[in-house]
Amino acid sequence: MLSFCQWLQATSFFTDLRGSGIFYPTILSLHMVAIAFFGCMILVTDLRLMGVGLKSYPVGDLLARLRGPKYFGFALIVTCGVLLAGTKAEEYYYNIFFRIKMILLLLILLHGVIFRAGVYRNGAALDAGGLTAQAKLAGGLSLVLWIGMAVCGRGIGYIEPNLFLLHAESRGHAVHFMNVMQVMQEFIASIHS
Amino acid sequence: MFIQAAAADLLNGSTLIFPALECFHIIGFALLIGSIAIVDFRMLGIGLMRQEPAELSKSLVIWTHLGLAFILFTGPLMYSTDPDMYYLNWSFLIKMILLVAALMFHFTIHRKTVKQPPSSLSRAVAYASLTLWASVVFGGIFIGFVAQGL
Repeated sequence: MLSFCQWLQATSFFTDLRGSGIFYPTILSLHMVAIAFFGCMILVTDLRLMGVGLKSYPVGDLLARLRGPKYFGFALIVTCGVLLAGTKAEEYYYNIFFRIKMILLLLILLHGVIFRAGVYRNGAALDAGGLTAQAKLAGGLSLVLWIGMAVCGRGIGYIEPNLFLLHAESRGHAVHFMNVMQVMQEFIASIHS
Repeated sequence: MFIQAAAADLLNGSTLIFPALECFHIIGFALLIGSIAIVDFRMLGIGLMRQEPAELSKSLVIWTHLGLAFILFTGPLMYSTDPDMYYLNWSFLIKMILLVAALMFHFTIHRKTVKQPPSSLSRAVAYASLTLWASVVFGGIFIGFVAQGL
């Protein structure tokens, strides 16, 4: 896994991205905008499944009509996330919050599969027979897992990278470094002559 | 001002409070912007089409206000930990201008348009609302990436 992370971030694509000062904050902003636009759809659905808020809205309708936008938002968040993580793959390999976040992401996907038949594709029955314990559990789990994702995402930035372990290079910085060296050599040569 | 100074001392003396505030800030703007975005997407013909925009807005207003309370509580506290840095950060200044613009837009034009029948105007208002809120988020992220000082 570590060698995969090292290979990934050493690809010319991610090396160039790392060297670009504007790219990283722009993608991070898009990541956060997607969370802002689509995160609330998840919160609203979870709370509705738990029996809190939007009680006059049928569960089946809420699930069906928000499914498309939520999938779109999820794809956007993940795409930005992959681009962000790829630039620092080796550093994040060691990052405890990143690891927990990836486990939470897997648990979210797992919960989606487990509760698919009973809850997420079963909205009409939930409206007819009332919210089941399973639906409330699914909503509560999703809420906790997604808040955990947000907290771990913020936590990633607080782990100091262990610079002795890392091999990352930035093409932009490398070029800059070579320019500086050249200027210094010319300067030294001009003093000698 | 003394209260703010006391709060800032407490915040700067702890390694956990600031990141905790950031987490509440993220959850807060997800609630604030997300609940407005659901109404905006409805005006653009996406998502909860069974309800009228006005009905959606009324149902979600509690989440909008809760999110607003979260960000207005956590934001100034985070600002108080390092006022000079934020005051001299052009991304922060632009963010504050955009935030005021977004809030003014939301509580005037947006609030009125939500009650109107769908039109090209309501679509334009929805796009403007989404753009304004997205730009506030961009302003917030770039605070940590722009050069210090004006």
